[in-house]
Amino acid sequence: MATLERLEWYDIARSTNWTPTYVTEDELFPPELSGAEGLPMTAWEAYDEPYKQTFPEYVKVQREKDAGAYSVKAALERSNMYANADPGWISVMKAHYGAIARGEYSASTAEARMARFGKAPGMRNMATLGMMDEIRHGQIQLFFPHELCPKDRQFDWAHKAFDTDEWGIIAARHLFDDMFTTRDAVGVALMLTFAFETGFTNMQFLGLAADAAQVGDWTFSSLISSIQTDESRHAQIGGPLVTVLVENGRKDEAQRLVDVGIWRAWRLFSVLTGPIMDYYTPLDHRKQSFKEFMQEWIVAQFERALLDLGLERPWYWDEFMHQIDTQHHGQHLGVWFWRPTVWWNPAAGVSPEERDWLEEKYPGWNATWGTCWDVITDNLLDGKVELTYPETLPVVCNMCQLPINTTPGPAWQVRDFPLEHEGRVYHFCSEPCRWVFEIEPSRYAGHLSLIDRFLAGMIQPMDLSGGLQYMGLAPGEIGDDAHAYAWVDKVRAARERRAS
Amino acid sequence: MTDHGVLAPLKTWSHLATRRRKPSEYEIVSTNLLYNTRPGTAPYELDPDVFMNRWYREHRDGSGLQHSDWNAFRDPDELVYRTYTMLQDGQETYVFGLFDQFDEREHDEALDPAWVQDLAVVYTPARYLFHTLQMASAYLQQMSPASTITNCAAFQAADSMRWLSHVAYRTKELSLTYPEVGFGSGERTHWETNPAWQGFRELMERVLTTWDWTEAFVALNLVAKPAVEEAVLRQLGNTARHQGDMLLGMLTDADLIDADRHRRWAGTLVKMVSDDPANVAQLQQWVALWEPRADAAIDAFCAALPDSPDAGALAKAATREVRRTLGV
Repeated sequence: MATLERLEWYDIARSTNWTPTYVTEDELFPPELSGAEGLPMTAWEAYDEPYKQTFPEYVKVQREKDAGAYSVKAALERSNMYANADPGWISVMKAHYGAIARGEYSASTAEARMARFGKAPGMRNMATLGMMDEIRHGQIQLFFPHELCPKDRQFDWAHKAFDTDEWGIIAARHLFDDMFTTRDAVGVALMLTFAFETGFTNMQFLGLAADAAQVGDWTFSSLISSIQTDESRHAQIGGPLVTVLVENGRKDEAQRLVDVGIWRAWRLFSVLTGPIMDYYTPLDHRKQSFKEFMQEWIVAQFERALLDLGLERPWYWDEFMHQIDTQHHGQHLGVWFWRPTVWWNPAAGVSPEERDWLEEKYPGWNATWGTCWDVITDNLLDGKVELTYPETLPVVCNMCQLPINTTPGPAWQVRDFPLEHEGRVYHFCSEPCRWVFEIEPSRYAGHLSLIDRFLAGMIQPMDLSGGLQYMGLAPGEIGDDAHAYAWVDKVRAARERRAS
Repeated sequence: MTDHGVLAPLKTWSHLATRRRKPSEYEIVSTNLLYNTRPGTAPYELDPDVFMNRWYREHRDGSGLQHSDWNAFRDPDELVYRTYTMLQDGQETYVFGLFDQFDEREHDEALDPAWVQDLAVVYTPARYLFHTLQMASAYLQQMSPASTITNCAAFQAADSMRWLSHVAYRTKELSLTYPEVGFGSGERTHWETNPAWQGFRELMERVLTTWDWTEAFVALNLVAKPAVEEAVLRQLGNTARHQGDMLLGMLTDADLIDADRHRRWAGTLVKMVSDDPANVAQLQQWVALWEPRADAAIDAFCAALPDSPDAGALAKAATREVRRTLGV
């Protein structure tokens, strides 16, 4: 071949900074949109993205990836995967597509912000490809669930969810909008690509890909593995930016954005990924517990990435380590209990053998979370299903928008972390969520949580039916136990065995 | 709905279900994807007055052109990501085939020395110009109020990166044959100071700082891009052919295929907003404002094209023809 190697011309293609003279540098890159921390363009030209890709390589590789993912889907279309899948697994797909597809699409907007307002030219090119990636992820994760619409109305939520004020979606939007869509170019790079993608999408995507393969859902497994290969490329936009900031005396600013990003991402994944991995995925297909996965992918790998870039562990690391052991159990209990308020059918995941697994993975589970499930289980055994439904709403956090909860049992000490700001009292689930608010109250102060809206009379009638209507959930969409309570029979059988 | 008030499964998304025909892949994956346009709510789920909410309210919702249903927009090419990469992988295979073949026959060695000097002035600095198109398209991507528009802008940004990549590739190749001419090192100075480029640099610095999203669209897609494409792709390509540089002529033709597609979506959007006479008046006012800047840019650039006395007039006439066919 008599064509040039890519690296021979790559640097020329990313030498595109110039000195504007018809407008000022601050007009071309408004600080509120570029977030360059007062550093001039020249400082950003040292930016060097570790994952280099050219336009022709990009379209070739991406075409091949799509050919792979779509052909796996086509080949398996007539398989009985869906008909034979465990209902818990179907719920995984519904929750994932609804919470993720259009959220990823919105990340293309954030990538475009870096492509336009980033002062580092290499970053602008990589973000242009990142913007394209996120369109791919939005589109492919709509195309795949679309064919399931005729099977189950809940799959409509793969598209519909983000048009609603369903509580989980309020939480997801609040997170995505805080970390991606309303941030300047530097904020996007640190929070979306570094904290969120380097840290957490690894978990959602690699973890789910592993579980999907175990379950035999090859379509889903190949889809999300394919997505992850894009993420691992454009996630590398943020790393070299940290280097530029640290070298120019802006370490504290970088650290703060990364700390906010990690905490906020963690909170969402505690409700989205935790229950999926430890409760919905059928027991014999679970590869690792959520905690084990977190420890391998976040604690070990991401912590190293942070330190390698010259940053520190976030100040709340101990609280974080504590929460990966506990928080998702409470979120799961809440999602199951308030199951009419979600667009999927939560799998309880607390049959006797599942409880044994939970106790093994999380010693003390039976004495804590188990005691709550005991009450629910007893009510179901007694045929009092109505007692397993909520009558009130949980207090949600004014930052993560998720129910405030702590570990039940003998050491139970539920508390919230309130803050009075300009005459209004805000409630937070934790010290870090309150800290995020305190850093920049003007980003959050005027937002109303679902509970704030309820108390303000914006949700009528003020009961579950009014709440469901407000959240856009109707019969046919609202969630119920994934296995239609079949697991209760296993409990009954076990108790009878013990009694005899 | 079933008899018991329970919603029944649908054949497609509920927002597409009322229509009578089966939705296409394009519609399934492209329509109504933005969630920052929900009626009665701030664009983003944070404090209603956080900077970015104010920015979107002012520059998007309060934009000069208004339409009651931006989501009705459809890309006439119905491109989705999957078909975009197929299309452009094929186009890149063609272009890199050209690079390969022309290199094999020692095309660059055979170029006229005077033309080689010209290339360093009127061609290789174009990567800066194409990069400004990439940046400006990325702004439209983040500001437009419907995902069907957003996608067109995103593909346009990626195409602009494609054009810049072609220039970068050729810059390197030319530098290998002609190390003394400043290929790969002198472009920034030409872009910042050479009279040939100052009109385009001013035009694009002003486009890039136009924040109202519909004015940014008009300035970019109806005025600046047609000017760039007619001068820096078409007329440059014509001049190149006359100078015996067949490769550059074929390369600019290949890039112009993308430009035609950009014009198709821009024209469709113009048609959509032109139902409202207020929009038509605003469009014309903006075109009148931006056209002189674009004309000056074309004149300055085309004056530097050797042996091409008519290039500027041809390019300007072509931009008007573009606008006429787009309905402006």
